[in-house]
Amino acid sequence: MTNTMQDAGMSRRKAAKVIAGAALGAGLARPAIAQAVTVRWWYHFDNPQHSPAELIAKFEKEHPGIKVQAESIPWGGGNDYATRMFAAVIANNAPDCALVKISNQARLLEMRALHPIDDMVRGWSARSDIADDVWRVNRGADGKQYYLPIQYVVLYLYYRADLLQQAGLQPPRTFDDFLAAAKATTKGDVYGFGMRGGGGGHDHWGSFVLGAGANFDKGGMVNAQALAANRWFVNLHREHKVLPPSAPTDGFRQIVDGFKAGRTAMTIHHIGSANEMVQALGDRVSAVPVPRSPQGTGWTSFGDESNAIFASSRNKEAAFRWIAFLSTAENNVAFNKLTGQLTITTSGSRTWDLHPQRFVDATSQSLPIATVLPDRPQTPDFTRTVWPTNMQRALLGQISPDEMMQTIEKHFNG
Amino acid sequence: MSQHPSRRDNVALTPYAFLAPALIITGLVVLVPALRTFWMSLQDLILYRPDAARFIGLGNFVRAFGDEVFWISLRQSLLWIVLAVGLQFLLGFATALLLNQSFWWRSVARALIVIPWALPSVIIGLMWTWMYDFNLGVLNDMLLRLGLIARPVAWLADPDLAFYCVVLTLVWQGFPFFAVTILAGLQSIPADQLEAAEIDGATRWQRLRHVTIPGLADIIMTALLLRIIWVANSLDVILLMTGGGPGYATHTLPLYAFQKAYSAMEYGYGAALAVILTALLMAVVMGYVRRSSRGIAT
Repeated sequence: MTNTMQDAGMSRRKAAKVIAGAALGAGLARPAIAQAVTVRWWYHFDNPQHSPAELIAKFEKEHPGIKVQAESIPWGGGNDYATRMFAAVIANNAPDCALVKISNQARLLEMRALHPIDDMVRGWSARSDIADDVWRVNRGADGKQYYLPIQYVVLYLYYRADLLQQAGLQPPRTFDDFLAAAKATTKGDVYGFGMRGGGGGHDHWGSFVLGAGANFDKGGMVNAQALAANRWFVNLHREHKVLPPSAPTDGFRQIVDGFKAGRTAMTIHHIGSANEMVQALGDRVSAVPVPRSPQGTGWTSFGDESNAIFASSRNKEAAFRWIAFLSTAENNVAFNKLTGQLTITTSGSRTWDLHPQRFVDATSQSLPIATVLPDRPQTPDFTRTVWPTNMQRALLGQISPDEMMQTIEKHFNG
Repeated sequence: MSQHPSRRDNVALTPYAFLAPALIITGLVVLVPALRTFWMSLQDLILYRPDAARFIGLGNFVRAFGDEVFWISLRQSLLWIVLAVGLQFLLGFATALLLNQSFWWRSVARALIVIPWALPSVIIGLMWTWMYDFNLGVLNDMLLRLGLIARPVAWLADPDLAFYCVVLTLVWQGFPFFAVTILAGLQSIPADQLEAAEIDGATRWQRLRHVTIPGLADIIMTALLLRIIWVANSLDVILLMTGGGPGYATHTLPLYAFQKAYSAMEYGYGAALAVILTALLMAVVMGYVRRSSRGIAT
């Protein structure tokens, strides 16, 4: 099943009802914690100067029996954070709760590391402020709820409006438009598409290869459609040369800084980088959903983030109050101002003013094709090692595009 | 016959009693994890499936010897050690000779030379990654301005260049170790020996060849052995700069073991790769142990 966000607005509730529920919060609707407890919580912020201290102070004031010990864990593209989390679980030293991503849920469940929160969520008055689709996307493979969503982003296409205008082109809507725009804007030191070939770049590849029909089911990477899509993608570099020569190893900072410096005309990222893009380029930067295939299909990455409670926690009730607090109305807005991502609450999104509207629009317009990678134990290794290594080899001509797809097929389906 | 230990027995046991705390701590923090790693290498252990772990004997080692990436990593590890340690030594030796000369800012130069060695690997990796950057890197900028290249070079994305770029970074990081160690050795060479050689008509090269280098031989050997062990094990700079890429261009054995353990969570296979690396390094370690215990034996 594909967990698409078909209609983000369909489950919105009346703001007044939600805000009233949020004001009551999880804490007020439940009996007080008998003894003072400390909740250990792991988090990561892209900007190390940001701190959750104010949110913690507010929570502790509202919940006198609970202290929150927040531990900032290095993100390292997700790898460092996840590795520390798995190691902590194995060492029986996991925190009470932590920020988590769907791509790690299968592994954590296999380790029996998570505590189901269905009962707690059922009694949480602000749960309806999070869209039903979001709850569904985050549900565990066994049908239970382990994740309490806190923020999201959706990847879209950043483009240089001025360069496309000079070329007499509209923002690309299809793969053909995209290739035409990339070719037209590749001139001198400027390349059409700032592709991310290093860790995390599978999102770029996914927009064009998964978007054209490749999938992770058995045979889904090696059918004719999937192979053709991957050849097309690799040829952006090999044949059309619209990617910078550094693309095979470029990471997040390289693609963002290259775009900001005017060295690329298009790239793919989420709203988290919108403000720095605007700071560098002003009105010359805009965004649209990633292009769609000739068949009209598309794929973009739904960047989820939730909180989860660990099975080993001795303070599950207190931990839930803390993570529920973070996902509640204005607290969630304040939290997302620290992370630069989008509020998960429908009430908060109505008054969202952190990013220019065109990027919020590009995000919401991308929701119909937004999805997550399969929640399977092989997925983290795919994103960290299997995809980058084989993508780089294919881009450099060391293996054929078809061999790359065969390796991915083997990784997932043996 | 007396039941009590004699005074001679007590004296014989005393050194062991003094050594016991260090031996126990070393055993706990080195020997136990090493044995555990070896035990792990005999199992099919995937971290997120701890209950499914099973003993497979030498299965992981057999798998490694049939694994193309293992051989690529091993070959590049050897090249990595030879190039990185060799160049660090040559640069460090030359630097030590320069710093042993008299000039008015010598003490400042000696302090500055230690900076690369004192910097954390993370800082070095990030700094050099940005210096090599295709779009914004200072290296491309300088070479373009000097007219030495016509277009920017993707230093870390080119499989023919990436490995040597990372080696250069490690050379820059590690040469101060040799410089400082050899400089200390140079200062321990009696000045009268050099003067005597000079009076005897020895040229500068002959003094270096027949007095200085023999006087430094012990220090150089010890420094080389230590550095080989460190460089063979190091993966932080590679991990930061290229992650082993592009493709397998900068894969080394410790990096591959790390990836298998921490990315694929295949702790059994990762441990087997680490055990192979340890076995290969054992010859160097034995050489170092023999040298360092030579003084004790005599």
